Amino acid sequence: MKDTQPGRSALELIWSFFASVKLSFFLFLTLAVASIFGTLIPQREHLHVYTKAYGETGARIIQALSLDDMYHSYWFLLLLTLLAVNLVICSLNRLPLALKVIRKDPAAEAKRVRKAWRSFTVDGGVQDNQDRLARELGRVVGKVHRAEVDGGVNLFAQRGAWSRLGVYLVHASVLIIFIGAIVGNLWGFDGRVFITEGQTVDHILIQRGKKLPLGFGVRLDKFTITYYKGSRMPSEYISDLVFINHGKEVKKWRLKVNHPVDFKGIDFYQSSYDQQLKSVKVLLTRKGQEPQEVQLYFQRWSKLPGGGEAGVQDFRPQVDMGGMYRGAVARILYRSPGKQPVALTAFEPGARMASRGEVTFQLKGWDMVSRTGLSVKYDPGVWFVWIGCILMTLGFLVTFYTSHRKVWLRLTPAGKGRTRVEIAGSANRNRVGLQRAMERLEQSIRNQKGKAE
Amino acid sequence: MAELSNQLITYVTFAYMAAAVLYLIAAVSGARRIALVGSGLTWLILAVHTTAIILRWVGSYEMGVGHAPFSNLFESLVFFGWTLVLIYLILELRTRMYVVGAYALPLVFATMLYALAQDASIRPLMPALKSNWLIAHVIACFLGYAGFGISAALSLLYLLTGQGRQPSSPRANALDNFIYQTVAIGFIMLTAGIITGAVWANSAWGTYWSWDPKETWSLITWFVYAAMLHSRYMRGWQGTRLAVFSLAGFVCVLFTYFGVNLLLSGLHSYAS
Repeated sequence: MKDTQPGRSALELIWSFFASVKLSFFLFLTLAVASIFGTLIPQREHLHVYTKAYGETGARIIQALSLDDMYHSYWFLLLLTLLAVNLVICSLNRLPLALKVIRKDPAAEAKRVRKAWRSFTVDGGVQDNQDRLARELGRVVGKVHRAEVDGGVNLFAQRGAWSRLGVYLVHASVLIIFIGAIVGNLWGFDGRVFITEGQTVDHILIQRGKKLPLGFGVRLDKFTITYYKGSRMPSEYISDLVFINHGKEVKKWRLKVNHPVDFKGIDFYQSSYDQQLKSVKVLLTRKGQEPQEVQLYFQRWSKLPGGGEAGVQDFRPQVDMGGMYRGAVARILYRSPGKQPVALTAFEPGARMASRGEVTFQLKGWDMVSRTGLSVKYDPGVWFVWIGCILMTLGFLVTFYTSHRKVWLRLTPAGKGRTRVEIAGSANRNRVGLQRAMERLEQSIRNQKGKAE
Repeated sequence: MAELSNQLITYVTFAYMAAAVLYLIAAVSGARRIALVGSGLTWLILAVHTTAIILRWVGSYEMGVGHAPFSNLFESLVFFGWTLVLIYLILELRTRMYVVGAYALPLVFATMLYALAQDASIRPLMPALKSNWLIAHVIACFLGYAGFGISAALSLLYLLTGQGRQPSSPRANALDNFIYQTVAIGFIMLTAGIITGAVWANSAWGTYWSWDPKETWSLITWFVYAAMLHSRYMRGWQGTRLAVFSLAGFVCVLFTYFGVNLLLSGLHSYAS
């Protein structure tokens, strides 16, 4: 190739920068060190968490460097991108050479005279010996090629040439996994939904509180926790779900942890649960009137006898105010016709801080309802990831446990009706294995017929 | 059964100490016969160790909370000790280099002793751990840790006996090769461990990767050993540098195993 354009050398410079193993080495260790920071600094917390732990300046530095969501920061993604480019360029740089070595004509290889690893003589002439030795070589290594060179006979065999491709399999697998992650990020979503018993939902919450319509309904019939016998340790969390498409119940499913359910390509996972207030029973007292019991619902208005509306805004089953009060507390919104709503607090009977006013509420009882928390995911990239994982494992097995071995036997006349045998070999990996194979070969050549010197 | 198992684990621990002492005496005195006794003893203890693990497994079913004995720190340490011995004995079988035992067996003993300090009661599995992937994931991870552990023992042997002064001697060459081979085993198994973990996480939470501290630290470990393997393949690093690298990698392994649970919180916090 002629190097005439000045732009070319710059391109070559960039190419050789990305083709260097030093860069891979640097990226591996930089990614490792960077990842350590991500495990030491809490991720995706509110600013005040960082201010409290690291002070104003520390928190500012953390935010400036995106250390609060490091694994998704631009610089971390840049490092991963550099790694991807590095391994692509490295592979492109070396693959042609590897292919050339793999395709090398064995007949030409057989003509080479290599420095001997071991040399000895056996009985009989070259012609008497060559068939037997070719058989032994074929048995230990592989298909034998012959050539006559400088008055002697060369026998050559090789195996595992394709093992040179293992490393490219590993590199490709990393790229496939990266592609899977990108596909998942671009076209997938990661949402959550809470469903109370009896409720049907048709949308979920994704990042930043955005609502995403599902296009079908999911109803929770019942949420159950089962326990190990004689223990308070939960054994299963179970959501009995019904999937509703166009008003029809299409699929019923008992959802358990570790056993997600797929509906129309979207996966639902049992992820959490809680108890939510359904309604409270309160004693309503209007000034100068007899108290009467009414039922109020959570975050919903109901009409009160004698006018006005009320609903429960917030509820705490256990509040400890020191000596003042200990028990449940409900925050109730009350609005009389044509007026702004006012917030009133309802305590259980016996509270020393009973509320006073036109209207008061006293808490008599409450009903809780279970709520299941589901993770809802759609990831079209996950199959790329699994295929990448399988290829990576295969690639490692090839790279670590196979090698390209070449073995030469050179037979030359040694006089007195004897033949000199020279063994030579090469391997791209696992030279110990090659040596063992050559030792085996030597043994079998010496043992059968000819006597050693 | 579970009680018998715990009893056996105690015996096994101190038997490993005896084996470690035999290997050490053999290493110092150079008496091959003592090393052979140590080796025979270690095989015997491995058999008892295996029995103890199986008994615990069976015992958990008798208690009605049946699960593979890989669910808490005690069980994982007992299993880690087992994988260390297994990898060591395979190496010994192939290389007949008994001196390595003087470095590997103390590591095994320390692991088992640490296990004895843990709560050994059998507890039911929390729902998140009830998965068929538990067994594959744990076996892969711990074989990986053990590969790295034995490699670290070899590295220590390499450095402490001053092999670096004659890096081309047959002994140094052989050690260097074993350091590499055990790291290769560790690396493949760690990769398998990360993959099975990802598959499991995907079926439990719907994400194959969530940058949980344990995941991240296993990836850090993976990066370090990946750098080591590349430096060997592409730049021909060996000897002292490789040994130091292997030890640094094992520090990452130890932090992934213990440090994360002790110091950081995350999805794997139940493992402590």
